[in-house]
Amino acid sequence: MPSAFVKNNKKYFFSAVLLVAGAVALSSFFEDNQNIRQAKFPYKQQGLTEKQAAAHLLSRFTYGATPGEIDAVVKTGLENWFNQQLDAKLPDDSLNLLLANFDALKLSNTQIVNQYPKNAQVLRMAISAGVVNKDSVKTDRKAYRDLLLGYMQQNGMKPEQELYRQFISQKILRAAYTNNQLQEVMTSFWFNHFNVSITKNDCAQFIPDYERDVIRPNALGKFSDILLATAKSPAMLYYLDNFTSSAANDDNGANKNALRRRLMQNMAAQNADTGRAAILMNKVQKAKKAQGLNENYAREVMELHTLGVDGGYTQQDVTQAAKVLTGWTIYPMGQYGKAVKSIADKIGNDGLQSRGFVRDSDFLFNPNRHDKTEKVVLGKHFGPDGGYEEGVQLLSMLAHNQATAKFITRKIAVRFVNDNPPQSLLDKMVKTFIIKDGDIKQVLYTMVSSPEFWSASAVREKTKSPFELAIGSVRSLNANVTQPYQLFNWINKMGEKIYYYQAPTGFPDKGQYWINTGALLNRMNFGLALTTGRIPGVKVDLAALNNHHEPESAQAALPVYSKLIMPERKLDETTKRLTPLLTDPNLVQKVDEASSDKLYARVNEPASMSMTSADKAIADSKLDSKQNKKNNVTAMQTTSGSNSMLGQVVGVIIGSPEYQRR
Amino acid sequence: MVSRRGFLRSGGLALLGVGLMGGIPGFLAEAAANEQIISPYKKRKTLICIFQRGAMDGLMAVTPFTDDYLKAARPTLFMSAAKTNNASPLIDLDGRFGLHPSMKAFEPMFREKRLGIVHGIGSPNNTRSHFDAQDYMESGTPFNKGTSSGWLNRAVGLLGHDTLTPFTAVSMTSAMPRSFYGDNPSVSISNLQDFAIQMRGNPMGANMAAKSFEDLYDKTSSTLLKQTGKESFEAMKMLQKTNIKNYTPANNAVYPNSALGNSLKQIAQLVKMDVGLEVAFAESNGWDTHFNQGTENGIFARNVADLSNSIMALWTDLDAYQDDMTVMTMTEFGRTVHQNGTGGTDHGRASCNFILGNSINGGIVHGNMKPLAIENLEDGRDLAVSTDFRSVFSEVADKHLGINNDRILFPDWKGERIGVMRV
Repeated sequence: MPSAFVKNNKKYFFSAVLLVAGAVALSSFFEDNQNIRQAKFPYKQQGLTEKQAAAHLLSRFTYGATPGEIDAVVKTGLENWFNQQLDAKLPDDSLNLLLANFDALKLSNTQIVNQYPKNAQVLRMAISAGVVNKDSVKTDRKAYRDLLLGYMQQNGMKPEQELYRQFISQKILRAAYTNNQLQEVMTSFWFNHFNVSITKNDCAQFIPDYERDVIRPNALGKFSDILLATAKSPAMLYYLDNFTSSAANDDNGANKNALRRRLMQNMAAQNADTGRAAILMNKVQKAKKAQGLNENYAREVMELHTLGVDGGYTQQDVTQAAKVLTGWTIYPMGQYGKAVKSIADKIGNDGLQSRGFVRDSDFLFNPNRHDKTEKVVLGKHFGPDGGYEEGVQLLSMLAHNQATAKFITRKIAVRFVNDNPPQSLLDKMVKTFIIKDGDIKQVLYTMVSSPEFWSASAVREKTKSPFELAIGSVRSLNANVTQPYQLFNWINKMGEKIYYYQAPTGFPDKGQYWINTGALLNRMNFGLALTTGRIPGVKVDLAALNNHHEPESAQAALPVYSKLIMPERKLDETTKRLTPLLTDPNLVQKVDEASSDKLYARVNEPASMSMTSADKAIADSKLDSKQNKKNNVTAMQTTSGSNSMLGQVVGVIIGSPEYQRR
Repeated sequence: MVSRRGFLRSGGLALLGVGLMGGIPGFLAEAAANEQIISPYKKRKTLICIFQRGAMDGLMAVTPFTDDYLKAARPTLFMSAAKTNNASPLIDLDGRFGLHPSMKAFEPMFREKRLGIVHGIGSPNNTRSHFDAQDYMESGTPFNKGTSSGWLNRAVGLLGHDTLTPFTAVSMTSAMPRSFYGDNPSVSISNLQDFAIQMRGNPMGANMAAKSFEDLYDKTSSTLLKQTGKESFEAMKMLQKTNIKNYTPANNAVYPNSALGNSLKQIAQLVKMDVGLEVAFAESNGWDTHFNQGTENGIFARNVADLSNSIMALWTDLDAYQDDMTVMTMTEFGRTVHQNGTGGTDHGRASCNFILGNSINGGIVHGNMKPLAIENLEDGRDLAVSTDFRSVFSEVADKHLGINNDRILFPDWKGERIGVMRV
């Protein structure tokens, strides 16, 4: 317990103790804290001008400032702007228009399971429908693929990969264009905190819903809510295997042993009647699948989601918590949960409820799989036979533990302040987290109204992740993105394959992780590719960025564009370093000669064959706009002039060390 | 442990690196100087790991061909070592095990006792999920999901010297594999040619941009960006000196034109460039053979041909470096003893792996694989795991790279080694 904390207010101290003991939230007692979100930001004391402060604010709570945005924030007022972002209710009409083209984004999990079935599933269905002969599978790739595609089209199914393409494209467009930037930044933060991964086939289909319905709506809510929502989501239930976890000594276990004995006897007696043995073995496998305690989720929910690895729990606590969470599984959909489905079909949802099942959307508590004994976790007793509520209480207890307050607020500070946030700041954030019942808005406001947030050790001290670099560049340059998936390929190349990070830890949030030799060169190449028109479906109009005032020379372009792209920064060093390279009298001519033909060809290249249908729809809808057409023509014309030189200068700025920082 | 950057900052041998060595990148000069002082006569060893994703059917790769149980369980997939007119038989290794005929490239290595095989290798965690099993094998902690680092990354940290070059640990994959997750410097790159500033069709522009970048990174106030920038450009220049694109392998080695063949070819190039490569990683895909895996022809035969031919091309190409190389394969689990209803096999437990090198206890099928009687199978259906993968990985890391700190490499493991390496 930090001493400043106790000295400041004894009331807070006692409430903390009570909360740690598992008491319910007491925030209503503390009405005096309503004004947390009215405090002024103390940037002047740290030597920052209002504009510099606005730039810092934008560098932390958006994916990068768009041209003119700093002035707009100053006009709105920094505190007002931040409160608007916390409330996340700004209209997003133009973004929604872009996203309307992605048909998979609105589907429920059940619809996704039916419309975007897994490849292996399609194959099984096609075989049982007699479309594909099981003996010809994979012997002739082309023919068998065509057969499968035809079968899918006839049955209204689409390739699984298309779902992920739409989902990832959606994320890129949203991050680049949403007005509610902080909500999207926090969505990324929580997704990474409660990481799930497309690399795990079982949970992959549920990830679009996970981000849309579990993470984003709770991104600026209460920690206990997002924790419970993730615990009940199909994506997490599959990713960390809790869907399969059941009491170890239930009927299934007995069944399995009986089956196994029969199998042994059969094998011994009949000396390997393989057909029959195979049938029995399948049964054993099925029984086995439905049986046994799985500790994966129980361990990670403590180690990674709440208390932290040094949060004071033991292996015993993990096992006991796993027992509390037995029976937390998913409601049947598609091929998932067939056994429960047959029961549900017989007795209906009301029947399920009367037998102790709890259904909440795709989540199902199955009392038949629940361990009904008494459990003890961190000294608190659960059950016996407390059903679904045991798990809810367990998660609430974890959400309100002081170790959790410390662990979560530190992670937030690392994300928004610097890689090693000062203890004085953490103390304030922990205090707010506890008395405000894990209200993320209040915790963030507390952080921003602390002097530490504005100090020299914070400003520009974070390294952009590859995603932040790519999206930030799009925003800095007002780029027009019609094929977002192309950016995903670059982001992957730079070292951040979003949604594919395999481990439940999520990507590490520190500069050293992102900056390594291969990745750094790719960052530079990204800058050049973006600004010289080499990323299909991502258009940059550099002339428009400077109100169509074309700089006279590369030298003149350098300070102008540096300032446009990195406003409110000291750029003397950057421009000083680059100027000598740009003073070769024949430079422009040389570069243009070497590049213009090919560059021109590339800019005019037709839409790539690899575009998704949604990408195409966006591209088409944009081409319909006459104004855009006109702009395109202007851009082309400048391309044949000195634009390739300009593109190169701006590319170097995007790849420069200064731009890698935020 | 002193970090790479810590070492460079401390200036230890910086004097030797600057200027004296002419065209040689600074970090290499430093590395060379460092080596001379720390271990003057020790040559650098390289461990090359190949992950076969999808779970290889070890019982088809190396078949216990005298096992009647297996023969009965695989009516159309069982292969024999007996010579017949219309089929290529298994290569009889020792009277009990037969190597798949498409891996005939391996046979001489096995006869020369430079290729070892471990049969019945696998994980103590009985998950049959590809994801979980790969995760556990690569993190090296079969019961802990939350381990943030991979075992090969920890191995880099245990090499006993600072990692002074960007190429100490290289994965020839587009994204960082789980085995490489962690704090020790490592690089994932699918194509060495990408290690350059690129502007297609505009080499002059690329040169100018490269020079601009180099200068900017040299003068930045961020130590991290400055140091990494320096290393990046040095690495880039070094690779540019070699003609990566038109590489001609030594000894007429022919790499298969496959993803694995390409990865191994590039690893060979790095070895020959002497850039300090010590841990390399490559992947081989397509082992999840639920459907029509075939016998002497078909999917499985093509896969093992690619695997063995790629490895042997590397081995031939690296003829002059063989004493310092060990190649080891791994796969997340094996496949069912019984074939399924679609001419394939389903997810099982143990598989086998291959280890190639001059200090391998070769010419032996290691492990303690029992006859496939029902009472010996795991869950009544699968080849039981008789050798923990960590036993083999730990022994190879120790005997080849000199890493013998299992407490860090495989924290939960306290087993015995089985002697896959000669002492």
